[in-house]
Amino acid sequence: MNGVSQGCVYILLASGLTIVFGILNVPNFAQGHLYMVAAYLGFYMVMSYGMNYWLALVLATFALGVFGQVIYGLVFYRMRNAPEVNLFVAAMALLMVLEGIALYFFGASTKWFLIPFSRRIIAFAGLALPLQRLIVILGTLVVMVMLQLFIKKTAIGAALEATAQHREGAMLCGIKVTRISAMAFVIGTGLAGIAGMLIGPAVLLEPTMGMGPLLVAFSAIVFGGLGSIGGSVLGAFILGLVESLASGYVSAKYSLIFVFGIMILMLLFRPKGLFGREVWRP
Amino acid sequence: METIRTLFSPKAVAWMLVLIAAIAVPPVVGGYVTSMLILIAVWTIMCFSMNLIFGYTGQLSLGHAAFLGIGAYTFSLITVKLHIGFWPAFVIAVAFTGLVAFLVGIPALKLRGPYFILVTLGFAVIVGVIVLGWIDLTGGANGLFGIPRPNPIPLPWGGTLRFDSLLSMYYFILFFVVLIGVFCHRLVHSLVGKRFIAISYNENLTESLGVNTMSQKLLSFTMSATLAGIAGVLYASYNAVISPELTHFARGMDVVAYLIVGGAGTMAGPIVGTLVLMTVPEVLQILPYLKTLINGIILMLFIIFLPNGIIGWFNTNLGRRITLRRTVNGPA
Amino acid sequence: MALLDVVGLTKMFGGLTAVSELSFDIQPGELLSIIGPNGAGKTTLFNLLTGFYRPTSGTITFKGIVITGCKPYQVTRHGMGRTFQLTSIFKQSTVLENVMIGKSHHAAVGVLGSVLRTPATRREEQKIREKARELLSFVGLGDKENKIAGGLTEEAQKRLSISMALATEPKLLLLDEPTGGVNLEEISGLIELVGRIRKSGTSICLIEHKMRMVMSISDRIVVLNYGKKIAEGTPREVANNNEVIRAYLGARYAA
Repeated sequence: MNGVSQGCVYILLASGLTIVFGILNVPNFAQGHLYMVAAYLGFYMVMSYGMNYWLALVLATFALGVFGQVIYGLVFYRMRNAPEVNLFVAAMALLMVLEGIALYFFGASTKWFLIPFSRRIIAFAGLALPLQRLIVILGTLVVMVMLQLFIKKTAIGAALEATAQHREGAMLCGIKVTRISAMAFVIGTGLAGIAGMLIGPAVLLEPTMGMGPLLVAFSAIVFGGLGSIGGSVLGAFILGLVESLASGYVSAKYSLIFVFGIMILMLLFRPKGLFGREVWRP
Repeated sequence: METIRTLFSPKAVAWMLVLIAAIAVPPVVGGYVTSMLILIAVWTIMCFSMNLIFGYTGQLSLGHAAFLGIGAYTFSLITVKLHIGFWPAFVIAVAFTGLVAFLVGIPALKLRGPYFILVTLGFAVIVGVIVLGWIDLTGGANGLFGIPRPNPIPLPWGGTLRFDSLLSMYYFILFFVVLIGVFCHRLVHSLVGKRFIAISYNENLTESLGVNTMSQKLLSFTMSATLAGIAGVLYASYNAVISPELTHFARGMDVVAYLIVGGAGTMAGPIVGTLVLMTVPEVLQILPYLKTLINGIILMLFIIFLPNGIIGWFNTNLGRRITLRRTVNGPA
Repeated sequence: MALLDVVGLTKMFGGLTAVSELSFDIQPGELLSIIGPNGAGKTTLFNLLTGFYRPTSGTITFKGIVITGCKPYQVTRHGMGRTFQLTSIFKQSTVLENVMIGKSHHAAVGVLGSVLRTPATRREEQKIREKARELLSFVGLGDKENKIAGGLTEEAQKRLSISMALATEPKLLLLDEPTGGVNLEEISGLIELVGRIRKSGTSICLIEHKMRMVMSISDRIVVLNYGKKIAEGTPREVANNNEVIRAYLGARYAA
């Protein structure tokens, strides 16, 4: 159960990473930290101000989306013509800033994010299912379905896919690539926000909680195949299970190593991933 | 042999002055400044290391904090727990770091761009996890202590060179800074170095010219990590105590920040960047845990507005006269 | 024995077939041109030959050795050099340094020698420098060796990229649109250079769009369309081939 809900977090993060990476060609190193910030934001909103959980969820996601827009405008838009490496460094700088904020504002202490749902357990078919975990799973399902509908059925979604496949071609078709790029970034950060708010009540909040999921999400993208959201979803799911099993049977501390190891193996033997497209060389 | 002319060129004179200052300043200022300078020296070595793999070979490795840590922890473990002498331990620790880098580099360098970066980042995180988790070996969060200073060296004219004092450690580490600086300078200006630079500009083109880019990248990566290992050993010996904090991935990012602010791909860049980003917070008395935040913000500003760093800006704007003189006077 | 022998070469990118069952050969000393409409797969062919793409199927044999699946640097070391359609040089280095990189894999230099500046290393570097100078004067850039490569004219940059490829001492030189972006007067200069390269013993495979040039200097021509070979033969044979005329919708001799 924990594995599945954790896998859902990875699914959301990985989708966000894929979209940003597909369109901006920048791996958002800060994705894990954004998720962490969202969880903490939610914590403060609910615990300190007594806000309703669902309202907090919407607000936190919105806040992260806005933050994404701001970052895109201030940083990535300005650097759209810079050499690729500089964009990577900028993404890294973003990670540093968020890491610094985490250390400074949230301190090294961990926090329990408690809301009415956290402790409630539903008995179903003889299993004791924590409600919050269920919410994570259902929430992820809802979000992913909405995302799929958005991409496949709306005009903007089509523009998104077009830009991801061929940036110049999309520009020639009159697609406002910078707007799409901004939107991609916002969706990416927004997904991180949702992930943070969904899982927050179920886990212990720590300032370091972002890095592990980032690496798993990234491993998932590589594993499932670059450029394919479906692939990264599958990858996230599988790797989430691997992590759970490794935690259970070997050691919780080192489960990340297993996940990472599988990604390395995939990179060495099948760099495309399971469903990826062939990587073009100029 | 350098000609007399090149020995007295403006650049050479500037470097001489810097070296003289580095030697002469610490005895007159207090212990606090000297200990700051020691830390700056250690991180300058890290910055040279980063410059080699990133500034000159174009591969952004976020894992170098791990190599610093591996160097430091290996050295500390074999001196404290196995009671091996300082110098053999130094060599073993540095060689081991290089070996790990070689093994990590083989799969990692097959990847281009963001994938390489993320794999090195992952490596740093995992090393951090292991160092923190393997309590029996590394002492976990408590770290290791009792790490020795270099053994006294008997001098040919009588007496011994002892390393108990702060000042002696400073000169010991400064010696390595200079050695590594000269190493990097010579390497970068040689044909081997030019190959690295070619790889950083256009890897495909370089490969099509018959250069085995994979082996060159691996060479650069291994050398770079070895330098990081040296920095680790020096830090451990100076500080006598190490903790997992040393291997935190943010340390590696700090080094990248120092490098870019100073100027990646230049010789003076690492020194300037480390000096500026380490002293300014001290002078302004900024709390230590704000460091990463501030480094991040400064890095962000630089990478957007001044991506070539301080020295890079200097070279483009003020260096034009100097380059012109060089092509007129000096040989190719 | 053919210098280069390509049999059944096919390359698919997902559902798109870029090159299909392509077979041809290049004899030692000849100049073979590859022509075809845009998108016919010509540059893809070069990428396949030089190891930048792995073929989906087919074999490539060079000097009797099977090189299918070799990495680009290995292909170059076997003796196949190339230039790129988008002029590829190291814009921020000097002209001389550019060619020295091309020569560098022949140099016996190592880290230790470089750092200690041993006489052996310095001699090697000097040797490389001399050879690079020879190559530059061969292509007519001898007087520009200290200029920054990015500041050269388009035509000079093309010459530079050719000299870099020549630095690898190829037996077969693949030239991808060497006269692209070059004006009419400069073309004859480049044609003359190609002639001199041939005289020095290097075979050439040329991708070009300028028909007059192709017809006048090629020994044989291979015509591609949609990744398939639609014609092969001497310039006259190819010019009279109906398939070719159709593919080009009546291409004429005007360059």
